[in-house]
Amino acid sequence: MVAKDTEGLWVYAERRGSSFTPVSLEILGKAKELSRQLSVELTAVTVGNDGGAAAELRRYGPDHVLELVHPLLTRHDGKAYTKAIGMAIQKAHPSTLLLGATRNGQDLAGRLAVRLRTGLTAHVTSLELDGSGQLVGWVPGFGGGIEAGITCPEKRPQMVTVRPGVFTAPPEGAPAGDVETVKVDLSEEDLGSHRVAFEPKGTSIDLTRADVIVVGGRGTDGNFSRIEELARRLGGEVGATRVATDAGWVDRDRMIGQTGVITRPKLVLVLGVSGAVQFTVGIEGAGTVVAVNRDPQAPIFEHADLGIVGDLGPIVESLLRSLGEA
Amino acid sequence: MAQSSESLPPVRFDDEAWEALAATTNANLCFQCGTCTAACPLADSSPLRVRQLVREAQFGETDAFLWKCMTCAECNASCPRGVDIVGLIRGLRGRQWHTREVPKGLPTLLWGMYSDGNTFHLPPKDRASWLQDVKVPGKGSTLLYVGCAASYDPRAQRIARSVAALLNLAGVDYQVMGNEEVCCGEAARSVGHDALFQDLQQRNTESFRKRGVERVIAISPHSFDALKAGQAANGGPQVVHYTQAIEELLDSGKLGKGSSKGTVTYHDPCYLGRHNGVYESPRRLLELSGLKVVEMGNSRAQALCCGGGGGRMWMETPPAERPGSRRVHEAAGTGAELLATACPYCISVFESERGSEAIPVTDVAELLARRAKA
Amino acid sequence: MHIVVCMKVVPRPEEVKVDLATKMLDRAGARSVINSSDMNALETALAFRDAHGGKVTVLSMGPPPFEPYLRVALAVGADEAILLSDRAFGGADTLATSYTLAAGIRKIGKVDLVLCGEESSDGGTSQVPPSIAEWLNASQATYVERIVAGKHGTVHATRVLEDGKETVELSVPAVISMIVGSNEPRFIDYDRWAFAQSAKVHVWNEKELAGDPQYLGLKGSPTAVAGLREVKKAGRRRETVTVAPDEAAAKIKAEIDRAGLARS
Repeated sequence: MVAKDTEGLWVYAERRGSSFTPVSLEILGKAKELSRQLSVELTAVTVGNDGGAAAELRRYGPDHVLELVHPLLTRHDGKAYTKAIGMAIQKAHPSTLLLGATRNGQDLAGRLAVRLRTGLTAHVTSLELDGSGQLVGWVPGFGGGIEAGITCPEKRPQMVTVRPGVFTAPPEGAPAGDVETVKVDLSEEDLGSHRVAFEPKGTSIDLTRADVIVVGGRGTDGNFSRIEELARRLGGEVGATRVATDAGWVDRDRMIGQTGVITRPKLVLVLGVSGAVQFTVGIEGAGTVVAVNRDPQAPIFEHADLGIVGDLGPIVESLLRSLGEA
Repeated sequence: MAQSSESLPPVRFDDEAWEALAATTNANLCFQCGTCTAACPLADSSPLRVRQLVREAQFGETDAFLWKCMTCAECNASCPRGVDIVGLIRGLRGRQWHTREVPKGLPTLLWGMYSDGNTFHLPPKDRASWLQDVKVPGKGSTLLYVGCAASYDPRAQRIARSVAALLNLAGVDYQVMGNEEVCCGEAARSVGHDALFQDLQQRNTESFRKRGVERVIAISPHSFDALKAGQAANGGPQVVHYTQAIEELLDSGKLGKGSSKGTVTYHDPCYLGRHNGVYESPRRLLELSGLKVVEMGNSRAQALCCGGGGGRMWMETPPAERPGSRRVHEAAGTGAELLATACPYCISVFESERGSEAIPVTDVAELLARRAKA
Repeated sequence: MHIVVCMKVVPRPEEVKVDLATKMLDRAGARSVINSSDMNALETALAFRDAHGGKVTVLSMGPPPFEPYLRVALAVGADEAILLSDRAFGGADTLATSYTLAAGIRKIGKVDLVLCGEESSDGGTSQVPPSIAEWLNASQATYVERIVAGKHGTVHATRVLEDGKETVELSVPAVISMIVGSNEPRFIDYDRWAFAQSAKVHVWNEKELAGDPQYLGLKGSPTAVAGLREVKKAGRRRETVTVAPDEAAAKIKAEIDRAGLARS
């Protein structure tokens, strides 16, 4: 028997700059669907040092927007946010709280779940309702080899964090629903940390966190401009083998391999690379490997999901055409 | 150039450290003649001055160049007093582990060997993937020790399958350890971590004992050298290199001679040649298969190192300091149709350093196995 | 500072199977390793101790077979090792696990920093570190790549976020999770091997831990596993084809679409 639902489904909308994290909006989309299935109301809750962000959230479908504000809440602080949201939840008793599994989202969720003495299901890749209306979140484990369906049968609110890209943001609509702005009871002591510095991303290459990598090797004959274009169209990074970096076609910090960078992208295109083990250990953890090489005996084909034997040039050009203008 | 004494750092004589090193390596015999420096293949491209390294060691000092050494043993071979300079270099590297002043990436390499049992951080359960369709008799007191490179590197896996094919053809009873095979620890020894080397050798001794192994055939000269030294110390089985084992099979008629045509030049891997004196077996195998062996100028004890030894396979080397391309160039210069060798590291280096040289690189076992199939 | 490093021993991910009949996890055939980012946490702790003095204690919750791994941590350089082990702790989800570890930390007493890996390779929730912080009412910093001592009992931690790196100042006691690859873990010091083998690994059971039973083990776990399914391909597909460029491009585009890429 499912514990009686109390006051609805909540989604934590994480602020980022003047807007919200894409995953917050994605979750709002799924949450709307779930709230209709469960016949409960949907609330988007957000935290910050001023009101006004709510206006944007009203376009994405929640029935209510709850803004928790205080001048001290200028940035994410796990301890202070836990207090703010915890108090709001203890007052309103929602049955469910969904959060985006961003790093700050997880920083918050783990702490908040303990504050509320409730169950937290992390990084779901899908959310379903079972036969009795119980929420089931499917989560990957053991390096992605196993998926477990997790439920929180009794404690409330049941908390779930959701990975980016799992759901789709609803289209932006006309603003709807009401907004409540609550000034949180907070003091300096409630803050867990203070920011002393911030270095925005984009000042350095980080292949280790790239989701898409396009690697060029000897077979490119130095034609890295097409490799770079491909990476750009796919929103990814350029990687290289030792041959390519030795030849000066690309910077050494793009070299992938045992003495270079170890990467775990979702997708890697390995173009004109023979596939020596010193290189392939650098892409061992990739989700999907696509390789192109002129030599059917090239060892890279044993490390690829899809291998194309052929000339690199025409294949790259054809692929760029099919990807269209950026 | 005069310098005031205030600006020179004080010299510390670390007698204890030196005595410890000298005790295990006969380094006390060094009389600083400098022949080693002249023999070192890195002398042109990098300031590795072997004589100076030895001198500094006496003061308890060392040098970043300590890590550039490929342990090719040209210095050992040339030393008029028979000093084990390679042993001294390993010992000096060993001291750096205590102060944790080692090149980046080496602690990670050792963790991989310790936890995963291989040098690539690849899953132990994939170690037998080299077998593919090859069937191994799986009995007898002879064990084929495949090694990390031939187990995991697709290029080197072909060597393992070739050796197995030849042994099968000759009707030899042998076993392999499959997923239970564990690294021989040569990389640890090369980078100066003797403790991990001994640990891994001991694990192998126990495995050999459990399986009743009396003779080990090693595919990589590095494994051959490491197992030979380590197993002798542990009272373990006899260890030979596959070229020696195959030569025995040819001599006893269990494998037929061949009638291949063509020319081949043979590169002596440092760990087969200079370190262990095995120069003739591989050449005989090539000749008995019908090929004409054409020698390079730097051959046998004068062979030029590929650059992969001494742990260099796991360290970044600037292109200008890599001797591999020089060797491929020398091989191409002989006019031979093929470059043959008997070491997975040499093959890996030559294939990636070949530059514009077209000469195909092959392992001796691959050549023989191909001929045997034809 | 007294630093406690939380360490988990996990099965090798590629060796874990799902028993498709019972839908239960089959870890029996899997070899074990110390969780990767926990090694980064240990290295951070040791480097901090080497620079500033203090003590490093490794703490783990698990069955008796975890003990040899704690001894490896001692050989690497930790000063003391504690294992929380009792049937009552079994079946714990992250709430109960973090409660148990926090109770262990409270029992150790006078702890300044708790370092954890960012997540474990089995469950992979990354929830335990901030949960421990809440149980201890301590400050927290997650996804950290570097810590530096600050003034007057503070620590500066650099967190790696999606939009950049933020450095925060925290007062101790603090719980910090280190990202995988944030440093190069030092190798075992074999001179410490004898010490590591003969040292007493403290094993605390339920009674000695004196925790609140309602938060321990299966009973203290609000979440439950309703089902399991195996996902991973057995290895690379190795579909190798020779086709004309346009067909090649189409096949590659299909893979790109299948790869499920998204912006965070």
